[in-house]
Amino acid sequence: MANTLSVGDPIIEVRDVTYRYAGSRVNVLDQVSLTINRGDFVALIGQNGAGKTTLAKTFNGLLQPSTGDLLVDSKNTRSAGLAQLARVVGYVYQNPDHQIFAKSVREEVAFGPRNLGMSTAEVNAAVEHALDLVEMAHEADSYPFVLGRGQRQKLAVASVIAMGSPVMVVDEPTTGLDLRGALNIMNLLRRWNASGRTIIVITHDMDIVAEYASRSIVMTKGKVVADGDTRGILTNEAILTEAHLALPRITKIAQLIDARHKFPNDILTVQEFRAVLNERLLAKRRT
Amino acid sequence: MPVGYSLYIDSHSTLHQKIDPRTKLAGLVTSFVLALEFNDPKFLGAILGALLLIGLWAHLPFRRLMPFLIAAGWFMIVGIAIWPLYVRQGSVIFTILHRPVTTDGLLFGLAMGLRVAIMSVGAGIWMMTTAPQKLTLGLLKMGLPYRAGLAMSTTIRFIPLINAEHAMIAEAQRARALDLNTGNPFARASKSVSVIGPLFLRALALSQSLAVAMEARGMGAREQRTSIVEIELVRNDWIIMSFALLLIALGLVMRLKGIGVLVKGYL
Repeated sequence: MANTLSVGDPIIEVRDVTYRYAGSRVNVLDQVSLTINRGDFVALIGQNGAGKTTLAKTFNGLLQPSTGDLLVDSKNTRSAGLAQLARVVGYVYQNPDHQIFAKSVREEVAFGPRNLGMSTAEVNAAVEHALDLVEMAHEADSYPFVLGRGQRQKLAVASVIAMGSPVMVVDEPTTGLDLRGALNIMNLLRRWNASGRTIIVITHDMDIVAEYASRSIVMTKGKVVADGDTRGILTNEAILTEAHLALPRITKIAQLIDARHKFPNDILTVQEFRAVLNERLLAKRRT
Repeated sequence: MPVGYSLYIDSHSTLHQKIDPRTKLAGLVTSFVLALEFNDPKFLGAILGALLLIGLWAHLPFRRLMPFLIAAGWFMIVGIAIWPLYVRQGSVIFTILHRPVTTDGLLFGLAMGLRVAIMSVGAGIWMMTTAPQKLTLGLLKMGLPYRAGLAMSTTIRFIPLINAEHAMIAEAQRARALDLNTGNPFARASKSVSVIGPLFLRALALSQSLAVAMEARGMGAREQRTSIVEIELVRNDWIIMSFALLLIALGLVMRLKGIGVLVKGYL
């Protein structure tokens, strides 16, 4: 379905989408319009209740907009079937225990591809590929529930990777993980993105956004209040204040130094900070 | 069924605030007994109507009662489909596979569905109008051991929580292209393993973490416990309970006299 597209082509188009839950009078999504392109690494950010997860659930038809339309790979989600949408948009839940049920890691990963009607050979190939990518091939026959939280999270990602969807939505991928576990997952998503896949991450972790996402979409009260280059958004204090978000810690440190020493105030990562610092030290040594 | 974290709906209604949880429990038992005393849909319909009026009097939104009625509607359909095959009394309307389907058979099926509706709506009103802590307290005052009372009220509190978990898990599996709405009953049952499995494990994990959290806060350190909420049976409660007892006795007399009984020989 999505094989004809190339990086940069629109893969999800949201047109004036409004959503309200049954029995509620509040618009959880309010006239949202945006386009996500193939190959994007997008962060959906905003405080709790901003509508991030609701928006993401409309991408694969788990929720249908109350008004407006949503096109996924040029197909309207209202008319596209569940399997058709799952082929394009995979969704990894915040808590891996909401989806793990099989007796082995291999069977768990094979569940999605089987539902998509792949042949046995295709399922086996998809499972091998996904487990290799998440570095869990050695755990293929393990019982999923004996794995640690980080491993279970990787298994949840692998089970969506195996479906081959060109878009992957990942809801709070680093919640409950230590730093190493969080970086493992994020680096895994970066590798998957490097192969031309679109990644949409829902997160509150601004350091993760700064480090990994090339584009950020900021939501407040069901509306998109900013959408663009991550550097431009994360260094714009007005936008972050409106969305009740904090600057990444390293950006904050850089901006504090900036006031006295003219340090760049749009630094997003520790690597960038270190590079500027090294440059300054070298310059000082030369003088 | 509503999806949320508690069925209880806070309100200032008399039923919520002025009636003791033990009295409400007696009312619930009365509705169950009355539902069993009659098998005529007219009488059972009247009881269901009375229950719905009580719900509205307690300021419960009708839409919160609807899921219980919809669930009961399915039982009515099943009752109407099955009971005419067994009840031969009444005038024949048509025959299916050489078996006569009678008016009384259809009405009896409807009555059986109404019974389920009475029980589910009654239980729903009871849970929506009784705060979980008062519910536990009521059971304790009735002599139930503290742990058993707590286990019971926790179970009730877990129903909507587990329901929300079920919705979340089903959604997660649908996102992996699992279509739970198609296929024959056997195929659907085998598909539901992917939902029931994680749900079962989540329920175990939830109850285990709750037990640990409660022990960490000193649960079981003392046998005698005090309560922040006090309840007391007052004059109105005794009047309501006496009235409930009277209704049960009246229903029994009517049953023995054949009033409200459409088909004799069946409960």
